[in-house]
Amino acid sequence: MQIDPLNLILFALVAAVLITFLPRTHFKSVFTIILLGIIGYFLVITVAEMPPFGDIANPPVNELMLRFVEQGVEETGVPNLVTGILNDYRAIDTLGEATVIFLAIAGAVATIKAH
Amino acid sequence: MEDQIVRIICRLVVPFIQVYGIYVVLYGHLSPGGGFAGGAIIGASMVLYALSFNLEAGSNKIPHDTASVMESGGALAFAFIGLVAIILGHEYLTNLAAGFPVGVPGELVSGGIIPFISVAIGIKITSTIVTLFYNLIGKEQLEDGNH
Repeated sequence: MQIDPLNLILFALVAAVLITFLPRTHFKSVFTIILLGIIGYFLVITVAEMPPFGDIANPPVNELMLRFVEQGVEETGVPNLVTGILNDYRAIDTLGEATVIFLAIAGAVATIKAH
Repeated sequence: MEDQIVRIICRLVVPFIQVYGIYVVLYGHLSPGGGFAGGAIIGASMVLYALSFNLEAGSNKIPHDTASVMESGGALAFAFIGLVAIILGHEYLTNLAAGFPVGVPGELVSGGIIPFISVAIGIKITSTIVTLFYNLIGKEQLEDGNH
């Protein structure tokens, strides 16, 4: 059975909204547990359907990986391929990461100082 | 906290942690590590210092203004390193194709802009961890009155 993760997230969101507006009774607890059980069931099914580790037919094994491994050192000039990918091939992505951290710390400091 | 043993051991250990963090940042393109990991190590050394002494001593080592300059300076340095490639007539953050000197792969000074990016990220992450920790601790002490 194929489950789209987005559908699962939407389902969980609707369930959370539904549970929030229910009155505080035993029915609410039972209903919550059943909904959590359904979500957990589909999560476990998704994990069980994942491809085996290290299989040659997996989606991440493509020409990009071969390109990085075979020509990474001469194209980036560094022997550490992880740093070569992070700081050269995917440098803009790393800049975005740094921006996210910058905004996170700015928001945290602003929240703390505001009180 | 007025523990003499903790303070003396911390005073002995912190320089070694910082040297190791600088090593991880500078050798990020040769061995496992890089700007994020090394910056976290250096920031952790300052967290250890502030934990074993007190917040005032830690704040004197890295004041809030210095941390702000490090934070913004690291991110800006990263962005401006990328702009150099545009000035040279290539795409943003282009490395070797833009004509940066490659050196010999495996030596400390090699790989064009990669070591500079690592250093910029290291400075930024150091400041991030230090700022976050000092601000949270300052908030705690403010709420508890004086500890």
